[in-house]
Amino acid sequence: MNDQDEILKLSAIAKMFGDKAALKHVDIRVRRGEVHVICGENGAGKSTLMNILAGIHQPDAGTINLNGKDVTIADPIAASRLGIGMVHQHFALVPSMSVAENVFLGRHPRRFGLFSDRHAMVERTRELIDRYGFGLDPETPVRNLSVGQRQRVEILKALAFDAELLILDEPTAVLTPPEVDELIEVIAGLRQRGRTILFITHKLREVKAVSDRVTVIRHGESISTYPTATVSEADIARDMVGRNVFLVGRGNEGRPRDFGAPVLSLNNVSVTDASGRLLLNDVSFAVRAGEIVGIAGVDGNGQTELAEAIVGLIDIQAGTIELAGKDITTATVPVRQQAGMGFVPEDRLDRGLSVTMSIAENLAASNYQRAGLESHGLVVKSRCTAFAEEKIAEFDVRGARPAMPVGWLSGGNMQKVVIARELNRDPALLVICQPTRGLDIGAAEFIYARIMAAADRGRAVLLISSELSEIFALSDRIGVMYSGQLLDMLERTRADEVTIGALMNGARIEAA
Amino acid sequence: MRELVLDCLRAVRAPLTAILLTLALGFVLVSAIADDPVRAYRDLLLANFDSLGNFALFLNRATPLTLIALGVIFSFRAGIFNVGGEGQLYAGAIATTIVGVTFTSLPALLLFPLALIAGILAGALLGWIPAVLKVRFAVDEVVTTLMLNIIVLLFTSYLANQVIRDPTSYGAVSRVLPEAIWLPALPGMRGATSGIVIAVVLACLTWVVLFRTEWGAQLRAAGTNLRFARSVGIPADRRIITAMLIAGGFGGLAGTLYVLGIGHRFEQNFSPDYGLVGLTCALLARIHPIGALATAIFYAMMINGSAYMQISTDVPRSLVDLLTGLLVLLMTARLTRKGQRA
Repeated sequence: MNDQDEILKLSAIAKMFGDKAALKHVDIRVRRGEVHVICGENGAGKSTLMNILAGIHQPDAGTINLNGKDVTIADPIAASRLGIGMVHQHFALVPSMSVAENVFLGRHPRRFGLFSDRHAMVERTRELIDRYGFGLDPETPVRNLSVGQRQRVEILKALAFDAELLILDEPTAVLTPPEVDELIEVIAGLRQRGRTILFITHKLREVKAVSDRVTVIRHGESISTYPTATVSEADIARDMVGRNVFLVGRGNEGRPRDFGAPVLSLNNVSVTDASGRLLLNDVSFAVRAGEIVGIAGVDGNGQTELAEAIVGLIDIQAGTIELAGKDITTATVPVRQQAGMGFVPEDRLDRGLSVTMSIAENLAASNYQRAGLESHGLVVKSRCTAFAEEKIAEFDVRGARPAMPVGWLSGGNMQKVVIARELNRDPALLVICQPTRGLDIGAAEFIYARIMAAADRGRAVLLISSELSEIFALSDRIGVMYSGQLLDMLERTRADEVTIGALMNGARIEAA
Repeated sequence: MRELVLDCLRAVRAPLTAILLTLALGFVLVSAIADDPVRAYRDLLLANFDSLGNFALFLNRATPLTLIALGVIFSFRAGIFNVGGEGQLYAGAIATTIVGVTFTSLPALLLFPLALIAGILAGALLGWIPAVLKVRFAVDEVVTTLMLNIIVLLFTSYLANQVIRDPTSYGAVSRVLPEAIWLPALPGMRGATSGIVIAVVLACLTWVVLFRTEWGAQLRAAGTNLRFARSVGIPADRRIITAMLIAGGFGGLAGTLYVLGIGHRFEQNFSPDYGLVGLTCALLARIHPIGALATAIFYAMMINGSAYMQISTDVPRSLVDLLTGLLVLLMTARLTRKGQRA
């Protein structure tokens, strides 16, 4: 291999945070004009590595060689001067400003070096959009854009700086499946135009779809680099986790199951928003004891409202909800939880956790009584710590100490904290939304096992997910939400990806 | 017990460092302008301890500051930016005074608790209004608490001038409360209110409630992430309203204890902006009750000491404002090493 076509060489990169090694020894070679995926579990060091390239962190050891020269990337500005553009998982856009204003934020083209030249700004943005086929209007305010479109604005920001090497940090974590497909096309377009792309992900499907080569990182070390075409998903998964992984689901077992009485029943439930728009339209279904009901659908078709209506976070305008035969239509959240409901919200940062509070307090939040953390009305700190340590060990929350703010954990490990808290009460009904969003395969395997174990103990589980493979792996029955309606509820054995996929796009099945 | 001490040490460490740094920097400034900087500084800090009388005055200033700071801590921990300390203080003071000068025929054993409860309730009411407006109608609490301050200040001024005014004295002061319901002074210290004991006990109690009860954990959860609190089944709205009732009650109690223990009557200008300074104390202590006790004591020392300093040296009283500014700067600035994770 000759050095000429290598745009970036990382050699023996190491980085410590306090006494914790985030990166031990990473070697990566990125060829000019390729799409190179960095793959690894949560906490493997992917983000740290990218932050080093973006100039946010400095490596403690090792060299960065860019275009044949050893470089030091002192800060993000230096990184962009070197032609490295970073697109973070969480966007830094001003919602009230237009696409063009965001792209040129802080560096508007000037007229006479004084006034910002709006016209030139819009034109240059339009040029960029057209060149890469991004399909955006430079004058739309960012707040009117979908998440996928906002991400493209972020990519434009990097491109406007003439980034030769574009780093995308878990870009698909926030996207819906159709948006992921669009992003994959966008990336293919960028490669055709000669850009080099470093793509961070832990989703194996994307590795295969998008990349030329893949480097696997585990526990801060680069394990292997493969040409994507010749490697199987199973091989990558094995390198990521360090052992063979099997995502076993219930659907694969194929034995008939007996379910108990309905634990949750929804009867003609409707929810409207303040302007009278129907968010949930006459939804009826039941979840029986021991059963996992999966609700599939493209995000934003009423799944969030469905979950929130069931757990009591929003009022319903029509219909009734019953929990174990009791009408809970107007019951408050605490009453419903006392009656045996557990809830894993779709967004752990929004509803799942209080990031500034400690891991111990987040785990304890709804468990003070059940876990016996109090004595004479006072919280016993040592019991809280012991409880947290027990859960951290049980759920393998990496890098966690009980007193640490939960926001310091990586996304997947935060999710484990949420699930550990909710499962501790062993609720009769578990409403679980997007349980493995942003999780790596090892963590997902673990969480699937816990969900199935809950169902095997006779608990009812309502699984809401936009990840079809997840729905199929876990569910006994599958329903599809489309624009607020529950289209159909199919037995797992009668459902296949084609039928469900068609329903997700709104097609009614002919009487079957 | 050991954990309480450790936790308190941690809480006090940050404000203490900032205070020492402020004093050091302030000394440089004083040296530049004063003939006798050492004397000025000695007076500012240590004149409080020159005589029992001075010390009593110092304690009398520390008491309302601590109580208001504790109230602010309750509301801020619940995520409510309560700047209504001054109004709550005045409401408590006026309610206690009205009860005290109206029902003079009641026996002290009855009148004292009545006056105390009236003051606390008046403050609590003032906390309750913005809390309910916030929870029910999402009205911004900064605006409502600030506006209520003005309403209460003007209303108490009317009452003091027109209704309960003492016609025999000069200025807007009420009649004097019956001596039987005066709060006793600290044993062996004439003129020093025993309210300081109540303030210290309440500071410890606040710490226990906020950090060692499930209720406190729920309150803090509502304050740090309301949507999280709701979805784990915490009745967040109730917690917020209760927190504001307590916050107002603490402000009211500050006013009540002032009237019962220090002023023995309502004086329209009795507060040198205790509401705002109490808020500052709470914020400087990073809304920690024990830390706030420390910052309140420090502020009381400076406010009281500056009077002696001005009398005996050529350094003006406004040095305190300067030191306050420095302290705010040093407390809010967090020193971070380069490359450290944020």
